[in-house]
Amino acid sequence: MIGVPWAKESKQYAVLRSNALNFASAELAPVADDLENTVDSPLLWKAVEKAGEMGMLAALVPEQLGGEGVDLYSLCVALEESAVECAGFAAALLFHNAALVPLVYVDRKDLVEEFTKGRPLCTVATAGEVSLDDGKLNGNAPFVFNVLEGTVALLFPGSGEGRKAAYMRTGAEGVETRVDPYPLGWRVSNFATLEMRSAEPVFVLDKSEKEAVTATERTLYLGLAAIANGIVRKAFQKAYDYARQRYQAGKLIIEHQAMRLMLARMLCSMEEGQAIIRRACGVEDLGPAIIAWRRAGANACQAAMDGVQIHGGYGYMRDYGMERLMRDAKYCQMFPRPEEEQLLRLLDMVEQGT
Amino acid sequence: MLGQELSETGKRLFRDFPILRALWESGRKKSVREAIGLVEKAEEFNRTFAVPRALELDMRMEREPEYFDWEIMRQACKYRFLSIFIPKQLGGIAGEFMVANTSLLMDELCSGCSGIALAVGAHSLGVAPVITSGAMAHWDTVLREIVEGELKQQPVTMAYAITEPSAGTDVEEPEYLEKAKLSLEAKKVKGGYVLNGRKCFISDGSEAKYFTVCAALDRNRPLQTWTTFLVERGMEGFSTPRVELKMGQRAAHAAELLFEDVFVPDSHLLGYEGDGMGNGILMIMAASRGPVGAIATGIARGAFQHFLAWAKSKRNGKRPIEEDRIRMALADMWGMVQENRGLYMSNAILGDCIFGKALDNPVMNLTLSLPSSLRTNKIMRNFLNSYYGKAMINAVLRFYIKDEDMTQLLETASLAKFSCADNAMELCSRALSLMGPEDSEERRWVEKCYRDAKLTQIYEGTNQLNRLVVNNVRFEETLRVEVPRPFKKGVMA
Ligand SMILES: Cc1cc2nc3c(=O)[nH]c(=O)nc-3n(C[C@H](O)[C@H](O)[C@H](O)COP(=O)(O)OP(=O)(O)OC[C@H]3O[C@@H](n4cnc5c(N)ncnc54)[C@H](O)[C@@H]3O)c2cc1C
Repeated sequence: MIGVPWAKESKQYAVLRSNALNFASAELAPVADDLENTVDSPLLWKAVEKAGEMGMLAALVPEQLGGEGVDLYSLCVALEESAVECAGFAAALLFHNAALVPLVYVDRKDLVEEFTKGRPLCTVATAGEVSLDDGKLNGNAPFVFNVLEGTVALLFPGSGEGRKAAYMRTGAEGVETRVDPYPLGWRVSNFATLEMRSAEPVFVLDKSEKEAVTATERTLYLGLAAIANGIVRKAFQKAYDYARQRYQAGKLIIEHQAMRLMLARMLCSMEEGQAIIRRACGVEDLGPAIIAWRRAGANACQAAMDGVQIHGGYGYMRDYGMERLMRDAKYCQMFPRPEEEQLLRLLDMVEQGT
Repeated sequence: MLGQELSETGKRLFRDFPILRALWESGRKKSVREAIGLVEKAEEFNRTFAVPRALELDMRMEREPEYFDWEIMRQACKYRFLSIFIPKQLGGIAGEFMVANTSLLMDELCSGCSGIALAVGAHSLGVAPVITSGAMAHWDTVLREIVEGELKQQPVTMAYAITEPSAGTDVEEPEYLEKAKLSLEAKKVKGGYVLNGRKCFISDGSEAKYFTVCAALDRNRPLQTWTTFLVERGMEGFSTPRVELKMGQRAAHAAELLFEDVFVPDSHLLGYEGDGMGNGILMIMAASRGPVGAIATGIARGAFQHFLAWAKSKRNGKRPIEEDRIRMALADMWGMVQENRGLYMSNAILGDCIFGKALDNPVMNLTLSLPSSLRTNKIMRNFLNSYYGKAMINAVLRFYIKDEDMTQLLETASLAKFSCADNAMELCSRALSLMGPEDSEERRWVEKCYRDAKLTQIYEGTNQLNRLVVNNVRFEETLRVEVPRPFKKGVMA
């Protein structure tokens, strides 16, 4: 198989990448299709446990707070490799890790412990409109993953620069959960809308809110970019392999230029994705993370769509594993916020020097 | 003046398709009225039947891919959608605007649910070769049975089977077919043919009673021996063992057909031995790729309508349409829909210029106005099935359907097919990106459209193939449709 031909990483990351890929091949690949159709299954928890052994839960939380203390790029590497086999699972891990980011700013080992013990995984709610008045949460948050009874959800009540960071448990009084049984992608975890009517938060960040919100967002955007890149890699792998065994018109379809062009574009996307993620991880600003997310998300959608196309009719069928990529890729692009809105925000950020 | 005579649907159609208005004003009122009436029926079908169940059914089909909702076909009977390709002289509803009506119908139905529409439309794809091959012997049996079933709301359906497990693109283009690796083979035996092998991804395959099936008589000479047969469910050795779990358009099944020593009598040879590409597939593709463009357009329009509803609704105190970027996106999307319609409609109009005369001319009308018992008695059947009988019908078809016309039709159809499909995919994708993480019914619909739209880039020839066809017909002139010549010798002779 062709990897990413031009990528060179320092030894530390190369080792991590290969460990993560081994994890994905051993633990995720065999169950990826089954994971898609069940939530809260033993299969999922087994994989989560293994991910924990790999240091992928509480990855960004410093060691003194009980986490793994790895850098964001390491998490991205692990997510990308996991997403090669199962983007939904990688997304579940990302939301969990991103949800814990604000705790880094308040030095609350107890909360880290409380939020990470056993299941369910934590989650972040970024969409919708939530307010925090008199210590109570109100509003609704759609597109929330990892939702089970008692999931700890990180919310950003308020708007714009004034957003706060508040944790809340699903199942608590005043919190209503509406599960959508049928989302387009990322089928691994429950997908729900949370509705809050005077719901009591578990914890509200009382300092560094702005930094915490930005750091969480940055984690989300880069993590999603990494997941998107994992999808591109899988699309390439599968399509490349398929094109080298499928004959039409008396030759392997990889000999048709139309196929070669699509595959070559995927190669560009892989390289582009990794380069842009690496670069964005190296700076603290949010802007480059958003740019990486936009690019990688669009690339993943294109690659998955082309991957389906290369498979012809077979690509459209569940059994061939291509259509899942197409569905998962779209969510990398649609989440956490609408893409054009973030595009406009980018320019605002530059103008405001933030 | 126009206004008083026209229903709301008519007004909408005149606005969206000025060509219909032009036809109306140039004296084709009756046919245009038929087109409007058909679209009205489709609207009602969507409103009362398809739309209320589409999301539910789509979800169910994911859990139970084997399930088929027969109510789809029964409802289709009620509106007579199953005889859209069957000429009026035979009791069907195909008239002067057969291709245009089919396209308009598909556009409308697919704006509701393209899975349900595919279940309805794929049947007509199976019907088409029975007509275009001039297999008159079966017009009074199979086609009548379909019409009668339809009137009794007991659906009798067909499917069209050309794709094989290792030959998809290859069976849609003569140059490729020559090199194809085929699974199915039909061996000539006394009194008929014995078929062995498989077809795959056949829409409506697990429901249909009749199948038009292409098979090579000699797998080493696929192009020269490519032949079309009429296969009936119930023929010994024939089965449909598998249906696929598809990403979209789920309400319709994609089934595998398995042939194990299936004997097909000589009478079920459609057209001549060896004319399965020119007379068969290319002619069918020329007639059907435009309507597939219309399918894509309907999906796009469905997505557009849901997106528009979303844009106009209040979300967190604001309506998305208040933003200029959303307003402009709406215009872009509508532009795509109308661009599609221009493409499929010009193809349809051309198609109707060609087929209209072939099916509605003095000879055909005379033949079809005879009491059907005259055509179905044994002597006549034998004659119609004979070499000379087929030659006679073909002579008529040949008189009206010219190679140049069919070739041009194939070009416009292929162009419409890939352009409409690409536009549909792009529109759905853009709508989702603009909506983002939304908890709304509209998003769920557009997600469905997104999954549904992808199929339009694949079936009826992949978009890559359709692009090559346009080039080969138009720019290099290496592809030509050859309508069968009467008195042509069977290839195996
Ligand atoms: C849901 C569904 C319903 C269908 N319904 C029917 C039906 O009712 N009846 C029926 O007969 N068939 C049906 N089909 C089959 C459909 O028409 C084929 O899937 C399609 O023609 C593509 O063939 P394939 O899947 O074998 O892909 P392939 O031909 O294997 O193509 C694989 C890839 O190679 C590319 N490729 C192949 N050859 C060339 C070339 N020469 N030059 C450049 N690129 C090339 C293709 O573009 C594609 O990207 C259906 C398919 C689906 C998915």
